[in-house]
Amino acid sequence: MRYLLVDHITGYEPGKSIRGIKNVAMSEDFLEFHFPKNPIMPGVMLLEALTQLTGWLEAVSSGFQDWFLVSRVLKSNFYGFAFPGDQVELEVETLEQAGHDTKTYRGSGLVKGRKKIIAEFEGRVIPLEDIEDAEEQKKFFRVLTRELKR
Amino acid sequence: MRFLYYDKINNIDKGSSITGIKTFTLSEEFFRRHFKKQALVPGVIYIEAMAQLLGWLIIYSHDFKLSAVMSLVEGAAMPPDLRPGFTAEIHGEIISTSRRDSLGRAWITVEGEKVASMDRIIYSHVQKVNSEDLLHLFYYYSGIRAGS
Repeated sequence: MRYLLVDHITGYEPGKSIRGIKNVAMSEDFLEFHFPKNPIMPGVMLLEALTQLTGWLEAVSSGFQDWFLVSRVLKSNFYGFAFPGDQVELEVETLEQAGHDTKTYRGSGLVKGRKKIIAEFEGRVIPLEDIEDAEEQKKFFRVLTRELKR
Repeated sequence: MRFLYYDKINNIDKGSSITGIKTFTLSEEFFRRHFKKQALVPGVIYIEAMAQLLGWLIIYSHDFKLSAVMSLVEGAAMPPDLRPGFTAEIHGEIISTSRRDSLGRAWITVEGEKVASMDRIIYSHVQKVNSEDLLHLFYYYSGIRAGS
């Protein structure tokens, strides 16, 4: 599995919010196990999609200087299920600066307008260069936002 | 990638508690993208590890007649900066359980030190299950021998 839980970025406002898409495909490896003979997108993978989207928000808000790593999930509600074939509309907004390098966010995931996940989480904003090649991330961001340019 | 975040169950006490282990190795698929310059265990994986193990305790406590799906997580903390090469001991406890749902808490220790925890986790139960399939999976996944 490619640990990439965001397929598209559909909009963003630096420092504030970001929107994206995760398409759930029957070909995803985890669906074989979650659950046997009953494929359901795992709740924590939706949470991972939201934290990755938050990484992109921090990256684009800092000129690709920063990324985000989750360290607390204050609350995460999982409503109903996302199934193969579903398109999950993701949104993350910045809530507040919790500490010097800690921030809190609120994220949601909807399928056809119906909520599947609402989560509040907190984490550290870290230098992007520590974990990835910033130039490559920038290029990949262009791939993810391709639709926006049209 | 096999979506299983425990390697075996060490101890299971019906209706009460469970412990198991998960060894994090560099061969996990997710390290390819998380990240290129540093391999860091994704935070949500700790939640999944605790949720999967505690889920088995619920299923076991209800004699494999139902399954459990996570519906709420509250007060979860996890280390953002651990690299692979460690064994996590996962602990789970049932706070309350009924036919419809269960409430529990869980935590993870590494070499005796608490690294992650979850204050509250709620599961909704799924009543339509194949008990025999669940039982086979439990023996295979847990390392516990049938009849022991």
